[in-house]
Amino acid sequence: MTTDTLSPTFAALADPTRRAILARLAGGEATVTELAKPFDMSMPAISKHLKVLERAGLITRGRDKQRRPCRIDAARLKDVSDWVEHYRKIWEERFDRLDDYLQDLQKEQKKHGKNGRDKRDKKGNQP
Amino acid sequence: MTTTSANKLEITLPSDREIQMERVFAAPRDLVWQAHTEAEKLAKWWGRGNKVDIERFEAERGGHWRFVEHHDGGSDGFEGRFREVTPTERLVQSFEWDGMPAHVCINTSIFEDLGDGRTRIVATSLFHTTEERDGMLESGMEGGLSESYAALDHLLASLTR
Repeated sequence: MTTDTLSPTFAALADPTRRAILARLAGGEATVTELAKPFDMSMPAISKHLKVLERAGLITRGRDKQRRPCRIDAARLKDVSDWVEHYRKIWEERFDRLDDYLQDLQKEQKKHGKNGRDKRDKKGNQP
Repeated sequence: MTTTSANKLEITLPSDREIQMERVFAAPRDLVWQAHTEAEKLAKWWGRGNKVDIERFEAERGGHWRFVEHHDGGSDGFEGRFREVTPTERLVQSFEWDGMPAHVCINTSIFEDLGDGRTRIVATSLFHTTEERDGMLESGMEGGLSESYAALDHLLASLTR
């Protein structure tokens, strides 16, 4: 797996301000001034966050010396996204089964009163 | 995905070594607890449709557990010990995969009684190192990772909710 590249990405994403910056940039490029606006933060503080994001490969900065617009770099974010999505898939499947099973258990309890749990389903419980 | 907003799985990354999942179930907390702490019940859902042999299951502090999940590509063993078992409320256990022996992550499940016959599960996996976090995912991986950019939207949505 892409362990070496994934770790700084996760570290960068662990901060809520940086996540909010990314969410803003997902809607299009922006300058530091524009990014600083919604946050109660100084420009140097925002610049610091941007540096972390840049080092993690999550954003790129434009060449224009005046504006240096920030832009999201989807490739790196996608690595994390793939990781999360894989986790999501496993747990969604697992929890969907649990959900179905809990419904079955409740139906069974209703049918058999509180002794429903003792009934064995010989056919197995293939959902 | 067939989930509705009521029982949607929410994923967040609380830190760079943690992943947290939340979901609401339309079942009372006692029953959700039983489904996690009684071996024959756990075997019905944990394997996501794959057969699971529960070789050991001692749901008490210090107790061991070991599952073997069987799938088309073979089988995967998982095991650990219970660190904390607080009936109906909290379950903390270590988790390791045979493919990465002695690389342990700590899983904490909190069961919240929502008071209306529903229960919220908040499950957190805490990895010891970021390498373990990434490596653990190789367990039970059939098929490649999603190539869709929809996944990216998903992540951003969950990070900013």
